[in-house]
Amino acid sequence: MKKILFITSLFYLTSANSQEKDSTAVYKKRVLETAEIEFLGSYYQQDGKHSPVGGGIGSEELKDYTSNIVLSIPVSDDGVLTIDAGFSAYTSASSSNINPFVSDGSFTTTTNNNNTGASRSMNSNTPYTNKDDDYYNTTTTVPAPYGSPWIESTGASRKDVLKTLSASYSHSSDNRNTIWNANASVSKEYDYQSFGVGAGLAKLFNDKNSEISLKASAYFDKWYAIYPTELHEYSLYGMHFQNSGYFKGVNILDEYGMATTNYLPKSFHPFSNEKRNSYSMSLGFSQVLTKNLQASVFMDLLYQDGLLSTPYHRIYFADKANYYIGQPRYIPIYDSPGNVGVFRLADDVERLPKTRFKVPVGARLNYYINEQFVVRSYYRYYADDWGLEAHTASIEIPYRISEYFTILPMYRFYTQKGVRYFAPFEKHYSFQKYYTSDYDLSSFDSHQYGIGLSYSDILTHARVLKFGLKNIDFRYNRYERSDALKADIFSLGIKFVQ
Amino acid sequence: MKLTILCLLCLVCYSCNTVKEYEKQNINDPDMKLSARSSERYETNFQIYREGASGANGGKTGGGCGCN
Repeated sequence: MKKILFITSLFYLTSANSQEKDSTAVYKKRVLETAEIEFLGSYYQQDGKHSPVGGGIGSEELKDYTSNIVLSIPVSDDGVLTIDAGFSAYTSASSSNINPFVSDGSFTTTTNNNNTGASRSMNSNTPYTNKDDDYYNTTTTVPAPYGSPWIESTGASRKDVLKTLSASYSHSSDNRNTIWNANASVSKEYDYQSFGVGAGLAKLFNDKNSEISLKASAYFDKWYAIYPTELHEYSLYGMHFQNSGYFKGVNILDEYGMATTNYLPKSFHPFSNEKRNSYSMSLGFSQVLTKNLQASVFMDLLYQDGLLSTPYHRIYFADKANYYIGQPRYIPIYDSPGNVGVFRLADDVERLPKTRFKVPVGARLNYYINEQFVVRSYYRYYADDWGLEAHTASIEIPYRISEYFTILPMYRFYTQKGVRYFAPFEKHYSFQKYYTSDYDLSSFDSHQYGIGLSYSDILTHARVLKFGLKNIDFRYNRYERSDALKADIFSLGIKFVQ
Repeated sequence: MKLTILCLLCLVCYSCNTVKEYEKQNINDPDMKLSARSSERYETNFQIYREGASGANGGKTGGGCGCN
């Protein structure tokens, strides 16, 4: 009898233990059930009249096509690996004017020496009007270089492709109350590369109603600085640059359109350190407040050091004489879009401090009104030690129009007080230590308004090959800044699950 | 800053009230997520380029020149 009782008890305990294990296995839901793949793309265009490459004036026309593929793979019940690869291809009138000079023959000049400078080398196919064997000693008419901050140059810098790749891994504890993650990223474009690493930890508590998160990131970037052509030549050949390289034989004009050799950008020197490092700490707290309301607050501490200026942003000093290349008749209307034939030579490039400390603090508040409406709101305050202070507020009100479709009207307001180093075109002085004419760092307000359409089907009825279509997001936004910059952006995201 | 601290205090006080898992159907709605949508990333990118402020939005906090 004792034996029977013992065996029965043992069976019961084993069975109970087994059931407990089973129940654990059953109820431990995978963090990500199946692999997901998301295709993202956008088209962005902008135009404005304050190109930083033109020292605060000139066309800011830009077009950008961007695409990413994001692959999320459940590598275990608890872990998810995410790989994100993408590119961004742009054409920009502003950056095309790093070298603004063209010599297509539409503007010619008369010379009596052996012109081997820009005007000749850029148009070797353009015939000289005098083909005498001894043309070195004769007068010739040759195509001359000209440019304008208001038109896109044909230089190589008018376009570039940014390539990005990042990988991240997140791991959740068995009770899903602790999540840690790590990530690494690289990006490369013609004159810039970036390498970043980061790690974070999130803790959920209070029945998963509260969450605290901490994240640290570091980016180690490097410029391969390119400078405005005239400054680049000056750095190469020094005092004699007008008789060497690109500018050999090219006429430089003064304010009155007369040829001169007085242009000497002595303020310019190339940057000795081309590295840029960024470090950040992010702290977040989110809270479920009611069955329909939740909020979060978060703060970043960001520190940057290294080359924080953009090496090809021109500066024109108010206390320096003006010099030009191109057609003299456009000099009086240089700063208006009517100027299509003359470009002013820079005094220097923008100079900004080698460190920057930023503190943005943000909050989100989302409210579920009913089955049709949700309100998503966001606010951010930002300040840094360059004197920039900004407020951002946005609201989005998703409206569910059917089981699968949601319309997303949205609005965002942004205002900033510019950095203390900003001044418009030709308002800086050569004795200043720091200066920039980049209007992105000036004082302005902006309004962004748009609409989105979202298709969502968690049961993935629609299928493409082996993948079920989970959702499609389309968004259009119009952006208007008080300094006349205007932009449009179209975004599309399509997510499939295995 | 004061407003943020006030908000934080309100949230901490509120955290005494817990919402049970079975009551979170509305909270778990995809539109209620306390983060930017993935399709918003390009808007965040161009805002970082065209504005002086960045961060505190779950996006990138560094890397890239943002110079075009």
